Amino acid sequence: MLTPARALALIFPLAVLFAGPSPAAEDAALLKDLTSVIMLLGMPCGQVVSATRQADNDHIASCKNGDRYRVFVNAEGRAVAQKQ
Amino acid sequence: MPAVRTVGMLLIALAAGCAGVEEAPYSESPSASKAAVPVKMSKKNSASSKNLEPPLDVAALKTRLRETHAIGVFTKLALKNQMDDLLEQFRAHYQNGQKTSVASLRQPYDMLVLKVLSLVQDGDPSLARTISGSREAIWAILADKEKFNSVT
Repeated sequence: MLTPARALALIFPLAVLFAGPSPAAEDAALLKDLTSVIMLLGMPCGQVVSATRQADNDHIASCKNGDRYRVFVNAEGRAVAQKQ
Repeated sequence: MPAVRTVGMLLIALAAGCAGVEEAPYSESPSASKAAVPVKMSKKNSASSKNLEPPLDVAALKTRLRETHAIGVFTKLALKNQMDDLLEQFRAHYQNGQKTSVASLRQPYDMLVLKVLSLVQDGDPSLARTISGSREAIWAILADKEKFNSVT
């Protein structure tokens, strides 16, 4: 018979196996993406150290050099980094 | 959406470029002539066949560019925007009666390719190699008015 302890022992590894990327990993990917796009748009930044989500595809990125940018997709479908 | 269409055209250009590479005479270099000999010879000398660029599969490249985890969504969009801008410069160049040489667009083209390579080389070195290998073939399409017009 399947005891609760055995059920947990079965479920936990499966949950770990099928879980998506951790929030920390997603954050790291977003920071890397924001760093790349700011660099690509020719803005000084160095590295994005933190980001705050404003809306879908709209973030405030804080750079290592102290600069802050609003990175978003404008109505024309262009990626924009706007210095704050 | 025009932007999407333009990127599609660039990919078509990639395809056409690859087709050109595939059809190029293999007798130009000794290693290439070895590779032109079918399977039996290439098995004997796998080192020389590794040096050859395989024909580019455009659909696969398109998928790889779209799905690579080496770059994020914002970066992909910014690159697409810059590719569209460059294609627009080529279009303007050909529509303005080519008063200057197309060579003036070589530097922005190289810059864009280098940007793409620098962004993907760490996270997706295989994709970076494919893009790098098709660089001249793509330029050959872009720099030729007839070829450019046929793919755009």
